[in-house]
Amino acid sequence: MTSTNGATLSAPSATKHVLGVLVENHHGVLSRIAGLFAARGFNIDSLTVSATEDSSMSRMTVTLCGDTAVIDQIRKQLDKLAEVVTVEDLTEQGAHIERELVLVKIAYPREKRTDLLEIAATFKARSVDMTPETIAFEISGNQEKIDNFLTMITQDARIVEIARSGVVALVRGPGGLRKSFYED
Amino acid sequence: MAIAEESIITLEEERRGGPHPLAGKEMMGAEMVIQVLADQGVDMIFGYSGGAILPTYDAIFRYNAEHAEKEIRLVVPANEQGAGFMAAGYSRSTGRPGVFLVTSGPGATNCVTPIRDCAADSIPAILICGQVPRAAMGTDAFQEAPVYSIMQSCAKHTFLVLDPEELEATIRTAFRIATTGRPGPVVIDIPKDVQNWMGKFRGEGYLNLRGYEKRLAKLRARRVEEESMADFFRMLEQSSRPLIYAGGGVINGEAATELREFAETLGIPGVTTLMGIGALDTTGDLSMHMLGMHGTAFANYAVEDCDFLIAVGARFDDRVAGKVAEFAPNARNIAHLDIDAAEIGKVKNVTWSYVGDTGRCLDDMVRHAKRTGFKKDFSAWRKHCAELRAAHPLNWDRDSPNIQPYYVIEELNRITKGEAIVATGVGQHQMWAAQYFDFKRPRTWLTSGSMGTMGFGLPAAIGAKMANPDKIVIAVDGDGSIRMNLGELETATTYGAGVKVLLLNNQGDGMVRQWQRLMFDERFSGTDKTMHKKDFVKAAQADGYEFAERLNIDEIDKVPKMLKRFVEHDGPAFLEVMIDPAALVMPMVGPGKSYREMIVGEWIVPREQGAPAAQMDGKTKADLF
Ligand SMILES: Cc1ncc(C[n+]2csc(CCOP(=O)(O)OP(=O)(O)O)c2C)c(N)n1
Ligand SMILES: [Mg+2]
Repeated sequence: MTSTNGATLSAPSATKHVLGVLVENHHGVLSRIAGLFAARGFNIDSLTVSATEDSSMSRMTVTLCGDTAVIDQIRKQLDKLAEVVTVEDLTEQGAHIERELVLVKIAYPREKRTDLLEIAATFKARSVDMTPETIAFEISGNQEKIDNFLTMITQDARIVEIARSGVVALVRGPGGLRKSFYED
Repeated sequence: MAIAEESIITLEEERRGGPHPLAGKEMMGAEMVIQVLADQGVDMIFGYSGGAILPTYDAIFRYNAEHAEKEIRLVVPANEQGAGFMAAGYSRSTGRPGVFLVTSGPGATNCVTPIRDCAADSIPAILICGQVPRAAMGTDAFQEAPVYSIMQSCAKHTFLVLDPEELEATIRTAFRIATTGRPGPVVIDIPKDVQNWMGKFRGEGYLNLRGYEKRLAKLRARRVEEESMADFFRMLEQSSRPLIYAGGGVINGEAATELREFAETLGIPGVTTLMGIGALDTTGDLSMHMLGMHGTAFANYAVEDCDFLIAVGARFDDRVAGKVAEFAPNARNIAHLDIDAAEIGKVKNVTWSYVGDTGRCLDDMVRHAKRTGFKKDFSAWRKHCAELRAAHPLNWDRDSPNIQPYYVIEELNRITKGEAIVATGVGQHQMWAAQYFDFKRPRTWLTSGSMGTMGFGLPAAIGAKMANPDKIVIAVDGDGSIRMNLGELETATTYGAGVKVLLLNNQGDGMVRQWQRLMFDERFSGTDKTMHKKDFVKAAQADGYEFAERLNIDEIDKVPKMLKRFVEHDGPAFLEVMIDPAALVMPMVGPGKSYREMIVGEWIVPREQGAPAAQMDGKTKADLF
């Protein structure tokens, strides 16, 4: 998206944002939200949906890059959707916990196995499947940690396949999206 | 989705003071639909029946048989798109949501254009579509279309009713969403077996939309804070050339009275967008008429000259702002009042903003000015505006032997005097109507502004006439636009809707030809209709028009008398006027251009010598639209 004020997604001032979105647990709401991003040309890095502590709501976590003007516009557009209960920019709020779960299967030369297992141990990745040619790891963490882990293991091995859950996030401290929605 | 329990909704009709008289009654889903429509005050439904909506059409029939004194009138168009634009005309002219009711599959997909049209112009409307029975959904059943997915990208909101227990709450909630906040169309897709379901009518209840309701409540409660109010008046105090820029939000938000009061109390002149026409009385001293791509020269000059721009219910659309960075270049401050937070700063940065009910905000401003005794003399600026108006009026070749479209509208305006409801197609005739008609009141100018949908005019006029039987309703159409929904000519005579259809025939797609002339070296690819065979007068006669006339291009003398007969005819009337095919819409600010590059054509006096010639520079044409 380009706004005429000069803000673009690829602008140098673009930074990563994590949006927490609570939505009415209603048929079709995922496609509605995904449709909004598609129609307005907002590029998102990941989108996850899940049930919540309140069965009448689902929670989406959206990660995307943009400068303040773009993120602000995205938030406001989300706010206009009738099923959106609340939207918060967790990045803006500062302290939040962010995790992604990754399953990655690598093919490795036999002599590198110990090295790879050591790297895995350093990153607290668990090996969850192993054959003479491949290992599957499970790792969770923030994206930076995961990216570092992948960089390290691909020095001696090749990724056969990878599945990433997308980012999920919570605000730190006693608060939460639903709490602040009802209390605000 | 759950039915709202501890509901944050408190609604007028909920304060009925007692349960609904029919509460607890066993009813069919279809009967509930009609009952809720009746409860919402719906007196007319535009629509076309078919397999998947049969139970609901049957319910209307039965409802009307039992309520002879308070029937819901059913208006059947030639095409569902026509029903949609009739509902839009009803809605735009009254402010009450128009309702259209269609069958599944093709019935529903024929409504995509009017739904998008309503959404783009923020018009409240309700579309109810039949859907194949739940068990058949997803099987590519006969006349099945993915209405929910199609419509959700076009409408303000879309419902698919899968749980019949939620049916009546869904219909109520649809009205709620359509008419609150920034208004828009809501689509309800109802499987046939849900219409046939039997259940207990509650007579109350809404779906749970916690976030929407909360945001709405905040929006409604919002007032301009003291400090912010002081800022606004400081900007006004520092300004010597303030200008109101009013958009469709003033009309849709019922804020025209407050806007006029604001303008008059403070002595501030105003321009309106195409959608904002009627927000100010165009015959009044403070009206500088329309700005933008085909705005009047004097309006655009005023925008260039102003030092404080006050945008009310407007959104700096590309047809208005042109080259955004150079829009209102001398405005040191821009204030923006709008119901939609997402519009603030979307296109243009502003120095002051208010998100909420614009009428309330303007009213608070007037009170504030009176309370604080705010006085600032803008008479020099008003005089400047009056001089701009006098020096650069709209004009055309008044000596031409051929009928000029401007002349026709100017003469018609002499008869209707700003009191008629005018609906248009899209093209040159639309712009001429916007420029040359007067509009004294809001909701009298009905045009497809954002979508620019050809075919809007005739059905919108019919819907408006059915809603306002005592007003003069004129459809100003082009030969291209009218063809799009020509079938609706007959709908007017079928229902005795006395619309006046004025066809300005320039034998082709004049507006596109204008662009081809200015930007494509006169290669009229696909826009020339001189070889077309249609005899529109015969077509109107065939559809039962007792008044169906044509004026040939050289019959200038006959124009005034003919127009008088046309307007005075009792019942639907059709008049085709063959106009000069070379006539242009002037002035023109080319797409993406700044107002400084406005061309005025041969007949309007520009304010600078050597103003740009009537040719657009070819280099910039690549992406302009
Ligand atoms: C449905 C639709 N198709 C195409 C267009 C593009 N378009 C804009 S104006 C125009 C020509 C309209 O011709 P007519 O109705 O005769 O009006 P005129 O400009 O000649 O007055 C066209 C094709 C449109 N606005 N809407
Ligand atoms: Mg034409």
